[in-house]
Amino acid sequence: MNSLVITRTGTHLTIQDFGRFHYQHLGVSPSGAMDQRIIKELEKIIPLHHNQFIEFAYVGPSIKVKEGSVKVCVGGNCNINIQKNNGTQIICQPYKSINLFEGDELNIHNTIDSVYGYIAVEHGLGLDPCLKSFSTDTKAGIGSINRPLKVDDTFEILKDVSSWDLLSMPNPAYKKETNFKVHPGPQLQFFTDQALQSFISSTFTISAQSDRMGIRLKGEAILSSQSHDILSEGILPGSIQVPSDGQPIVLMRDIPCTGGYPKIAILNGEDISKISQLPPGSQITFDLQTIY
Amino acid sequence: MYFKGINSYGDRGMILDFGDDSSKSISLEVNKAFSSISNLRLPLLNIIPSFNKIVIIFENSEIRDQNKETITLEMSDIKFQSHKSANKTWKIPACYDESFALDLKLIQRLHQITKEEIINLHTSESYYTYYIGFMPGFPYLGDIPSQLITPRLATPRIKIPARSIGIAKNHTCIYPKISPGGWNIIGQIPFDIFDLQNPNPSLFLPGDKVSFYSVSNKEFQQIQKKHFSINELIKEYSS
Repeated sequence: MNSLVITRTGTHLTIQDFGRFHYQHLGVSPSGAMDQRIIKELEKIIPLHHNQFIEFAYVGPSIKVKEGSVKVCVGGNCNINIQKNNGTQIICQPYKSINLFEGDELNIHNTIDSVYGYIAVEHGLGLDPCLKSFSTDTKAGIGSINRPLKVDDTFEILKDVSSWDLLSMPNPAYKKETNFKVHPGPQLQFFTDQALQSFISSTFTISAQSDRMGIRLKGEAILSSQSHDILSEGILPGSIQVPSDGQPIVLMRDIPCTGGYPKIAILNGEDISKISQLPPGSQITFDLQTIY
Repeated sequence: MYFKGINSYGDRGMILDFGDDSSKSISLEVNKAFSSISNLRLPLLNIIPSFNKIVIIFENSEIRDQNKETITLEMSDIKFQSHKSANKTWKIPACYDESFALDLKLIQRLHQITKEEIINLHTSESYYTYYIGFMPGFPYLGDIPSQLITPRLATPRIKIPARSIGIAKNHTCIYPKISPGGWNIIGQIPFDIFDLQNPNPSLFLPGDKVSFYSVSNKEFQQIQKKHFSINELIKEYSS
């Protein structure tokens, strides 16, 4: 038997995978890792991850091997060290697999100039899927673990490490993007040319009130000439909705399944991962593609 | 026919547009299209019906574009006139006792009607399930009798008890679990309507018909004690 225990949670520690699909018509959000590029990258290093990734935001957790041994890999831009069972300390790098033995403690510090990071564990964390996904949606209380992880949460990994060989990939060092090409939203016509002009010429600041549901922006108010209240309709991650205060919200992975605010634009699907990594205070701009 | 056409929604989504209004006949058409497209078993990630739209998302823009023609063809083939459907008709026990009906007094004052009249009105109609949204398993039912039409609470409640029956504008609903919310609460049902352990987790589906019948607090407690599963509820309360 091999087991891991959480000894320090860091912030917003949850289990995530590539998303929970086919249930949004029943009010279930897709959820999934905020930055899907990283878990795809970790897949190359820990192919037997069983879709059970640990996601952290800003500050990573400490995880100790209670019994046996496990192979893990951390993804993201963060400092990592291991407190070995013999008292020594080793500095580690992300995107390099790490063998951990009984008593070893993996410590992940703050994410550097980014928000989210991930841990993949070989053979997964011994969890059962919930509605065909391991992702946690804390607002709806859905997931193989339906809440954020806590200290003393213990995971039993039934299979032993397949090989002690270590694998590493170059750190992808994703370029930080702050200008996003967006597609017209379903309610583009709710906004005058002047409002659209100010949407694409303004700089918006990412607010600290952002989370897995949405990134709140602060900037010049973008007001609809028609209404900020529409009949609720299905919404997709990446949509930029504008409530009556004119401050846009970029909807993220824990999206409400339907929404009643007009959507001025929507990001490219792949940019959802990119924007998720911009810390509060970051300044961004939008470039509206005219594809119609 | 209300269907207006298909628009892109970002690089991997599309919206089927049924206009800007909301009515039961529009919703019947939406839900007919929803079940027809669902039955095509296309490689889509989510298909989300609402009052007058259907949003579909695919893995990427190539798959979206490859399937657009199939969906367009299906929409031109659907016989919106025939109302044959696989939907269920539900008769749901509801307790309207003061202990559950947190806003009954407010509605009595607003409409100058008695508690009995509210119960008679709310149980008089067979409601149509427009769609499921807001939270897992939450049905938007309607339309309620015009004498009961009530605006949402000016200040939403922070915690609405699970299984509460609400009314707002011309709709009625059931809260599957404890939640913040702004609907006026008029009663409670004695069982859960969303079960994560079931592969079909939601008791209600878009297009289902739902009516309520009034039960005493004692009957309510008795049903509650049975802890029905979704499959048992289907046998017991639907046809």
